[in-house]
Amino acid sequence: MPLTALWTVPLLGALVCAFLGSKARYGALAFSSAFLALAGGISYLQGSPSALAVLTETGPQWAYGVCYRLSADSLSLGLIGLTAFLNLICVAASWDLKVSAGYWACFLALASALTGVFLARDLFFFYAFWEATLIPMFFIIGLWGSSGRLHAAVKFFLFTFAGSVFMLLALLALVSAHHRVTGVWTWDLGSLDPKTLGAAAPYVFWGLVLGFAVKIPMVPLHTWLPDAHTEAPAAGSVMLAGVMLKMGVYGLLRVAIPLFPDLSVEMYPILGGLAALSTVYGALCAMAQTDLKRLIAYSSIAHLGFCLLGVLSRTSQGLSGGTLQLVNHGLTTGALFLMVGFLYERSHKRGLSDFGDLASRAPYLAFFFGFATLASIGLPGLNGFVGEFMSLSGAMSAPFPIFAFVGCLGVTLAAAYALPAFQVVFWSPAGPDSVSAKVSDLDFRERAILWILCGLMLWIGLAPKPWLAWFEPALRGLVR
Amino acid sequence: MTPPEVMLAVKVLFGAPVAAILFGFFVMRRVKPEWTHLPILASCAAVTAAAACLAAYTTAKHCLELPVWTWAVAGDWGVAFGLRIDGPSSAILAMVAFVGSLIHVYAAAYMKGDKGFARFFLVFHLFFLAMIGLLTANDYLQLYLFWELVGVSSYLLIGFWYHKESARKAALKAFMTNRIGDLGFLIAVLMMIYAYRSTRLQTVYEFMAAKPSIYTSIIALGLVWAAFAKSAQWPLYYWLPDAMEGPTPTSALMHAATMVTAGVFLLIRSWPIISAVDGLPQLIAWTGALTSLGAAIIAGTKKDIKRILAYSTVSHLGLMMLAVGLGELGTAAYHLIVHGFFKAALFLCAGNIAHAFHQSTANVDETGGLRREMPFTYGCFLAAALSLAGAPLFAGFFSKDAILDAAWHHGGGLRVIGMLIAFGSAFYIFRMLFLVFHGDRKEQSRGGRHPHEAGPEFVLPIFALSFGAVVLGHGSIREWVSNLMTYGMRGVPMVLIRLKPYFDLPGEPALPALNWTVSAFGTVLALLGAGAAYYLTMVDSGWDWRWRGGFAEAVFESDFGYKIIVGWGARAVSWTARFTGRVLDKNWWDGLLESSSDVLREAGNALASSAQGRVNDYLWWMLAGSAVLLGRVLR
Repeated sequence: MPLTALWTVPLLGALVCAFLGSKARYGALAFSSAFLALAGGISYLQGSPSALAVLTETGPQWAYGVCYRLSADSLSLGLIGLTAFLNLICVAASWDLKVSAGYWACFLALASALTGVFLARDLFFFYAFWEATLIPMFFIIGLWGSSGRLHAAVKFFLFTFAGSVFMLLALLALVSAHHRVTGVWTWDLGSLDPKTLGAAAPYVFWGLVLGFAVKIPMVPLHTWLPDAHTEAPAAGSVMLAGVMLKMGVYGLLRVAIPLFPDLSVEMYPILGGLAALSTVYGALCAMAQTDLKRLIAYSSIAHLGFCLLGVLSRTSQGLSGGTLQLVNHGLTTGALFLMVGFLYERSHKRGLSDFGDLASRAPYLAFFFGFATLASIGLPGLNGFVGEFMSLSGAMSAPFPIFAFVGCLGVTLAAAYALPAFQVVFWSPAGPDSVSAKVSDLDFRERAILWILCGLMLWIGLAPKPWLAWFEPALRGLVR
Repeated sequence: MTPPEVMLAVKVLFGAPVAAILFGFFVMRRVKPEWTHLPILASCAAVTAAAACLAAYTTAKHCLELPVWTWAVAGDWGVAFGLRIDGPSSAILAMVAFVGSLIHVYAAAYMKGDKGFARFFLVFHLFFLAMIGLLTANDYLQLYLFWELVGVSSYLLIGFWYHKESARKAALKAFMTNRIGDLGFLIAVLMMIYAYRSTRLQTVYEFMAAKPSIYTSIIALGLVWAAFAKSAQWPLYYWLPDAMEGPTPTSALMHAATMVTAGVFLLIRSWPIISAVDGLPQLIAWTGALTSLGAAIIAGTKKDIKRILAYSTVSHLGLMMLAVGLGELGTAAYHLIVHGFFKAALFLCAGNIAHAFHQSTANVDETGGLRREMPFTYGCFLAAALSLAGAPLFAGFFSKDAILDAAWHHGGGLRVIGMLIAFGSAFYIFRMLFLVFHGDRKEQSRGGRHPHEAGPEFVLPIFALSFGAVVLGHGSIREWVSNLMTYGMRGVPMVLIRLKPYFDLPGEPALPALNWTVSAFGTVLALLGAGAAYYLTMVDSGWDWRWRGGFAEAVFESDFGYKIIVGWGARAVSWTARFTGRVLDKNWWDGLLESSSDVLREAGNALASSAQGRVNDYLWWMLAGSAVLLGRVLR
């Protein structure tokens, strides 16, 4: 029951908000808070992570073995917590926007679908929730985005949908092969036996990986991301970067690696190589951008490359670090996207050269942006470093330590895109076409949001141990 | 010192700066920003007292290794942070705390009335805190944390006057160069975890003693690379001369106490690793010697007074590297301490001049004959300059001659280079002294400004520093540093018999006795340098302006052409980034993917005869396609 409530509460919120009209934001706030409280409460009641009893809910069997089956281990609960937290942050950050009730409904619906993805243990439901996340995000980008929103929304939808088709085919193959050999229809992640696939196993593995890799996104399947991020409203970018990209890594951790433990090791030279490439490629692309949001979007590709490198290395520190990096990236990139959103709300610009001298005009904004930038480039003592370092350490212990060296290069390059951008926006004198005069400093609400985010960045950076310990039980079985 | 007192000192060492920064940030900055420095100065006093206590504690042959908290754990992997108070850390900490505090006092006067006064002091103190953390870390990852914090604080301070383009560029250059160096540190730490499953200093030392392996070389190379960036050695020295764009107290702190010394300290800390790699000490010694000589030559050609001092720092860091490379760790640390005093004094004197001119730095074209207006600054400058040049009985004489002695005993090219450096140092500092404080040249013009001596809040800290630069050569202090270094590197009380070969350093005790031959040679060459400077600035006073312009200046301005190569490197990286981001990713790859929809549409038109746009047809086609794929998979 509590697990069903986890994904139905925000869904109920979405329905309620849709009918609230101009008062919808109060509904959104109430339901988002309730969702976070519920997620926190369940996590708390599960007790200490080492003794984490895995909550499970199973419904009746349907046709073709489809069965409503939810389960929440520490990995699921951690990501649901992140979803609920960022959802509430998004609601708070969008508080003063002049938007229709649908906006708030879409965010709650998105949170609901994401929670479903993290909870489902039946692959049919997993796929259904997976695709369900596309719909609210499609509307968030397409309806409340900036000028190029339609193109971006369609591109986002087509790319990720195309990836999902391969995933669906892989899942269908898996389920029907299982039925053919054992005579049992089941979609249960725990009881499906990939050995029944025989020689087709690599195809199914790559089908799954393709579906997840588009979502992450792994270079070279990433080109939807900069467009989608750039055109989405700020809060949409936060959810997109903060949680939706994490679905891909979660899919690897939950489905692809447990089902194909040996294949994922065999394919590490290719996948790990692409992950390492992502870190450098994303950084190089980010260096060339002139639009703040595109820059942060490309930096996401680099950061997710670290996650992927750690997770795929299948070492204890790599898995822990890569998973923690999911949370870190949500906080850091989320904060950066929010601040670009605040800038955009005030000036309707987001080009690097549209601003200048903001450190004098908006010192709070400069402080928080600088803080989040430092976290993003992996300054030790802040959260980004923990994830990157542990992921790289994992890659170092895996075969092909060269990937770790390439990743180190990505760490170095991170400063080369983030700091010049920071300097142009905040330090350089305002040019003649600058809109800096329109940028007022952050108000109390905005500052409060950023204090919370930056406080968490510092906390994770200085004392990552409890955070790592939280995820550890769920990852223990995945170590090669 | 009883154990509870030591614990109290340790707590004060970190508690006071953290509390002062938090209080300053959350309270003073809002309530009374012009008083932000008060809690911070109090913290400086407390830190200095604590550092003195710890130095006394280690002098009494105690060491302290204190676990504080476990940072991260995963599987069999874990990193625990803690404190290591031993000889090298407490000796250098005592200098950093004392010199740093005096610079804080100076900064309070220098920065008064600046719009960003509160911001300056908070970052300034963070810089100081980062260095304290770096010196007392007992774990390489922890050291790396503070190492990067030092880098970030310096970035914020160099770019403090961010309205100036030169300051922004210098800040970025400094941070990026250090980041390139940190790449080595990062790889070294990752390698330690891989090879030894630990980054704790003591554990790594023990592994080193037990069995150096192939990983040792990578770790050692990475650390040396990082140290070269932080301590401004070739090929990564080029950020330091530009870094004087920050307010002068920043330069003083950075050059004397908190930043550039970190690299030398890292090498002292990592000596057991470095000495285990064949040829690496020689590499360090030669790099240091050549950097030192090159920087000394360049320093003799610069016109900006802070830039002369900056190249002088590069030169002296090169000397310290030379000492480290020759295994003379005690000598390196001793010169580091003495250098901290005289370089801080010199920079603050330059600050007085800049302040008197109401600008951020000054040029030799604008000065000349300043000793009349600023007699006190002149006196302090002279004392520090004599110390730098190695005039007999000044502190610099003892510390530099110990290094020259090591080079002398090593023989060969290093012997010659050492002597050339002695000549060059005396030349550039006395050239600066004469050009700034003496003479009355027609080429120099003050542009209607009337400089005057600064107030007591400016001169008192400088006086204390230059006093130190004079008396630190006293026998008891040399003996103290010598004992601390020898004994500290032995790691007592963690006596490890197996470590003996690695800690029996050459040149024991850590500071050699005075070698009269070397001292005589060094002194004569320094005299020659000073004499040459006198001739070219006072007798033939227009010389400095005559040789400028043309090829010679181009050679010196570009650091013998090296700056041009660095510029090419930077341009190559940004070109690669632009190509990747705009052409490869946007036009080619994304363009290809986006055009695929056009291709499909074209194909659709071509096949229009077979498809009349009926949804029913498409669904059948989709089903057929999926079935084929499925069949292929299941076969």
